[in-house]
Amino acid sequence: MTTLTVAKAVRADRRRRTTRTAVVTGGLTLVVFALFVVTMMVGSFRLTAAEVLGSLLGTIDDPSLDFVVLGLRLPTAATGLAVGLALGASGTIFQHLLRNPLASPDFVGMSSGASLAAVSGIVFLQVGGLAVAGLALGGAVIAALLMYLLAWKDGVSGYRFILIGIGVAAFFDGLIGFVLTRAQLFEARQAMHWLTGSVGQANPTELRLLLGALVVLLPVAMMLQRQLRMLELGDDAARGLGVSAELSRAGLLATSVVLLALAVAAAGPIVFVALVAGPIANRLLGPATGGIAPAALVGAAVLLTSDLVAVHLLPTPLPTGVVTGAVGAPYLLWLLATTNRQGTGG
Amino acid sequence: MTRLRAEGLSLGYDDATVVTNLDVTVLDRKVTAIVGANACGKSTLLRGMARLLKPRKGAVYLDDRPMAELSTLEVAKVLGLLPQTPVAPDGITVADLVGRGRYPHQGWFRRWTERDHEAVTLALAATDTADLIDRPLRGLSGGQRQRVWVAMALAQDTDLLLLDEPTTYLDINHQVELLRLLRKLNGEQGKTIVAVLHDLNLASRYCDHIIAMSDGAIVAEGTPQEVITAELVEKVFGLACVIVTDPVAGTPIVVPSE
Repeated sequence: MTTLTVAKAVRADRRRRTTRTAVVTGGLTLVVFALFVVTMMVGSFRLTAAEVLGSLLGTIDDPSLDFVVLGLRLPTAATGLAVGLALGASGTIFQHLLRNPLASPDFVGMSSGASLAAVSGIVFLQVGGLAVAGLALGGAVIAALLMYLLAWKDGVSGYRFILIGIGVAAFFDGLIGFVLTRAQLFEARQAMHWLTGSVGQANPTELRLLLGALVVLLPVAMMLQRQLRMLELGDDAARGLGVSAELSRAGLLATSVVLLALAVAAAGPIVFVALVAGPIANRLLGPATGGIAPAALVGAAVLLTSDLVAVHLLPTPLPTGVVTGAVGAPYLLWLLATTNRQGTGG
Repeated sequence: MTRLRAEGLSLGYDDATVVTNLDVTVLDRKVTAIVGANACGKSTLLRGMARLLKPRKGAVYLDDRPMAELSTLEVAKVLGLLPQTPVAPDGITVADLVGRGRYPHQGWFRRWTERDHEAVTLALAATDTADLIDRPLRGLSGGQRQRVWVAMALAQDTDLLLLDEPTTYLDINHQVELLRLLRKLNGEQGKTIVAVLHDLNLASRYCDHIIAMSDGAIVAEGTPQEVITAELVEKVFGLACVIVTDPVAGTPIVVPSE
């Protein structure tokens, strides 16, 4: 090949990849926006998309419509959107940092830490609402710090972190079981409901906190994506390319932990969304392309869809976590089966 | 004038010091091989020179400035590195991987420029990997894969290039192919190259300068003819041998004696 044809091929390949990323990101944005609107259309009485948009944009002046859309349905829809974005971004950062599709933060102990703190609060302190969210937030952050300390040895390496994370998760889950056995019936029921995870349970303060964090942290995560792509090549290669490996990794981990902790605090430990969002985005983007924004959008799409199914399609409304669990578990089995066959589990 | 040198360098991991008090001068525009028995500290020295390991004592100087004072990004624009075991993300394509070598030249907002295109194109052409650009790395042969990693390091567009055991796991043909590539890069682009190598015969044949290490110290240094002697091989590797002359290139060849 002459240098000219090589240059052309390189350019074409580059263009193909950037176009694909742009198309996928644009498409996902449209899908998420559509789901967001549909979430506000359905309910005890149906609205049209025009009515929802009119109320959102303030072009239709109808107090009863505003009450339904802005007062009742917007908070739930916005929670679904925000929690999905946060879980998707958090999950894909972890999976890329640890180079393992199993390394979703809800697998490596953080959701369990949040749950233990929240359930303890519900059962022993009889607290509710914002206090539970605060405890969950603290629990997730403490679990993350604990794991970072336990798994730390000349930096965090993938498999070690995952195995310790699974150990920590099992430990916390055991304690949650213990706490539940000590609970009165009412508190136990409340705790179980929280543990299943549902976007309907967020209160306005939690939502505002999560939205605020997203506005700051999603751009931060997207800025750190360049460093993340280098860290994937191994620490030595990343350093050789001029990345401050420890600093970038700490920044990425912190971003990911805070996003996950706030999402869990707002909606409870909704399982599998963080696990599936990254791999689905990767399928759409093409292998190893990676993208925090597309993964966040997939997370939002999965969560909004699950919530629509859970609340409106099933004969009795269920918590969102039931649906994500039912869809996510078979995916996990498939993932375990195929990664082992390819020998790429770590 | 030398661009890369170390003075009184001591390096180690955890509580073990691996190399002590080394003075190393890397010859500009030459191909240097670091050789030595397993665990003699040759990879450690290379990692130290590439600022992957912080010196216990002494310092590494790049263009006469202590490397510790330079930002890692500044260093990456001058000095490229191919680690011993780089990791490729699942399914990554050749073009994607080689393009990542441009990282040190891109800013937060300045993304992909003509200069990047040019560097990637040249790197692919030099390593003869241009027809592989849309192939996943996993599907390539060991030799092709190693050439792609070299292409990534080349895309970084640095005057100095350090390679940690680049020929390990390659068959003889691919080893020769890779060393010829390094020679070519040195000849055509004037790159200064340092590689940790295992095969003394290939190191003699394709390198200008050899640094022989034993137990964390440099025991001999010079041209292959000066360094590769029966006494040295006995001392460094504990192998009794006879040195004969390569019939093609006239370089020394190690033949184990009875």
